[in-house]
Amino acid sequence: MLKQAGSHHISSLSCRFLIVAAVLGAVALSYVITSSCIPTSTGSAQVTKEANEELKRAIIAVSEAEAAGAEERQLGVLVEQLNLVLSMIDESERSLLLGDVESATAKAQRSIEISKRAVMDAAKLRNEASQSAQYRKVLTLAVVPFVSLIVTVGVHYGWKWWHRREVDRLFGMEIKGIRDSEGKSNA
Amino acid sequence: MPRLSQNLTRAVTVFLSTTIAFSTLAYLAVMPRPREQFFQIYVLGETGRAERYYPSNNPDIRVGEVVRWRVGVANFMGSIQYVAIRVKLGNSTIETPDEANLVPSPAPVLLEFKKILMSDETWEFALIWAIKEIVVSGNVIAPTILDINGMNVRNGQVSALAGHNFRLFFELWTFDPQTNTFTFGWKTLKESRIAWLQLWFNATSSAVR
Repeated sequence: MLKQAGSHHISSLSCRFLIVAAVLGAVALSYVITSSCIPTSTGSAQVTKEANEELKRAIIAVSEAEAAGAEERQLGVLVEQLNLVLSMIDESERSLLLGDVESATAKAQRSIEISKRAVMDAAKLRNEASQSAQYRKVLTLAVVPFVSLIVTVGVHYGWKWWHRREVDRLFGMEIKGIRDSEGKSNA
Repeated sequence: MPRLSQNLTRAVTVFLSTTIAFSTLAYLAVMPRPREQFFQIYVLGETGRAERYYPSNNPDIRVGEVVRWRVGVANFMGSIQYVAIRVKLGNSTIETPDEANLVPSPAPVLLEFKKILMSDETWEFALIWAIKEIVVSGNVIAPTILDINGMNVRNGQVSALAGHNFRLFFELWTFDPQTNTFTFGWKTLKESRIAWLQLWFNATSSAVR
């Protein structure tokens, strides 16, 4: 009987413990869910900071594309996007100062997306530009001996033609001289 | 045989000469030409010229009086640049930027304007400002709130005797990809340089005036 009462006491204690643990677990879970879903000002500031970092990465990527020799028109499109990102970050920071955390987070996240896309576009542009610049260099340098050869052949035949013309002119002068002297003697 | 050798010598000479000449031309065409790298920064008055910086050409700015300037930056660095114009409020005793040591002015930053500029691009923006609130303490005047481009900017540090000789500094900062931060001025392969401007004004209230 005593043993039965003791076991009953233990089971009710463990039952209470389980209930308390479940409640605590639910509270913790709800905290985790709400903290991840509802933007806080510190969370938003973190996102804005991240947006700034992503913008810097995008600027470096676009600069690399420019250094690789990308077209100015295509670079202009990317720079326009980055300036848009800049204004969005600015607006996000202003919203944060005004306490509009939700809007600030949304703008910062949108700017991160645009920056990431700009990084990818810039990388693609850089690869294309460096490849075409390489081709252009090789082509320009490869053309040099061919052009030199054409000029050499041109000069060679040109000189031959000019030389023959000069010789013919010289012979023509001699014949003319003989005819002149013949004409004088006949007279 | 001597004729052939003479022809050959001439052809080789022409070929070598033209190869050297065309190689030089090709090298110049392929390689980028070095150019001077620099920025230009300017502030214009309300007419868009270097004149009429103050309403009625009077540098005594009353509370609520609107001042209209145009600030410009031109990028001649030969590449894309991320620039910032830091607007600082100073008085006559605050140090100006140090050109020799490339140190910015210790004056407090009121506002910062940022932009990414293409090579050879000029960025010009309006700076419309007014003193919204001043605090008069004896003979010392401090503009505590300034309205700059529709934003209220607080100043808690700078004051001047009788409100005379305040100045707005415009400092050019550029993003340095190597350090991943903004640095005062800019760096080229050869040197580091800075660019800044200042415009003086007096802050007066109707009562003081």
